[in-house]
Amino acid sequence: MAASNLHKWATLPDPSSAELARAADGDAQAFTLIVERFQGMVYSVAFNVLGNHTDAEDAAQEAFLRCFRKLPQFRREATFSTWLFRLAMTASVDYKRHVKRQPEPAEVPELPDERSPDLGEGVTASTLTAALGDLPDDYRVPTVLRDIYGLPYQEIAEVTGRPLGTVKVMVHRGRASLRLRLRAEGVRPAAYPPGPRQRSDV
Amino acid sequence: MDCGYFHQRSDDFIDGELGYLEVAELQQHLSFCPDCAVELAQMSEVRGALAGWGRLELAPPPGFAERVRAAVELEQAADAARPFGRAVDDALDRLDETLGRVPLPGGRTIPVKNVIGWGLAAAAVAIGLERRHVRRSRELKPS
Repeated sequence: MAASNLHKWATLPDPSSAELARAADGDAQAFTLIVERFQGMVYSVAFNVLGNHTDAEDAAQEAFLRCFRKLPQFRREATFSTWLFRLAMTASVDYKRHVKRQPEPAEVPELPDERSPDLGEGVTASTLTAALGDLPDDYRVPTVLRDIYGLPYQEIAEVTGRPLGTVKVMVHRGRASLRLRLRAEGVRPAAYPPGPRQRSDV
Repeated sequence: MDCGYFHQRSDDFIDGELGYLEVAELQQHLSFCPDCAVELAQMSEVRGALAGWGRLELAPPPGFAERVRAAVELEQAADAARPFGRAVDDALDRLDETLGRVPLPGGRTIPVKNVIGWGLAAAAVAIGLERRHVRRSRELKPS
């Protein structure tokens, strides 16, 4: 049951060395091609961490600016998408730390295709977005990083600048709040409790 | 295992951090306790929904890439006007990555370079005060 989210962006082809070299040399056109390819991933990270479109756009733009500035230092120790994901995550967490904006009402983000997301029995995009949006920031950010992006607790502690124990408590509370919220919305778990007969399975 | 212990360890179970024996113990508790079983099923549901949500890519607002390009070009123009400023920013970024962060009481952390900066500022103020004190002492000293 360990986190093993296979994200769509993880399968995106990395830019070639030539494309990266042109962008690192300051070619805005080459960099824009990279932005167009990865904007969905960066924007999704920012939206999930920040919970609203206005902040998500600002943080996503900041993430790409940081990418542009740091591109000459990118050494391919990780794939480009992983490196950019970490920039998006830290830019979003930093944005949350420094900009205190009045929360906007939760909106359902626009999905690039029309298919309904596979979120489980009875869970809709609007239910989940609203539930995430209503979580206090202290709970939402670590819960998003842990359960949406599968980051280890230690890394979440480093990114958010909080002690490991605090991060675990925040994730626990975030999960508990989401569970209660979805239950109040009438979402019932697909797997109901195992009956006594299953004791022999133990 | 009782319900209290289940609540202590349910996150570890969800995170896959329990050993075989603890999992067996927890499953045995669930077979007798429908409340904890429902709670665990709901937690797994939440976890599954979040994982499913994370696999989706949201569409940024129209014109986002163009706005990023405009911001990049603006920054390039600003850098061209202050070539040393960009070099200083890069050096500070590298310093930040090299030195890391220090923990503060209460669990917060701050960049080491900030601590060094504050230390240098405090030293400059202390030196300034000391020099002023020495100067005043000399002025007040009867010749």
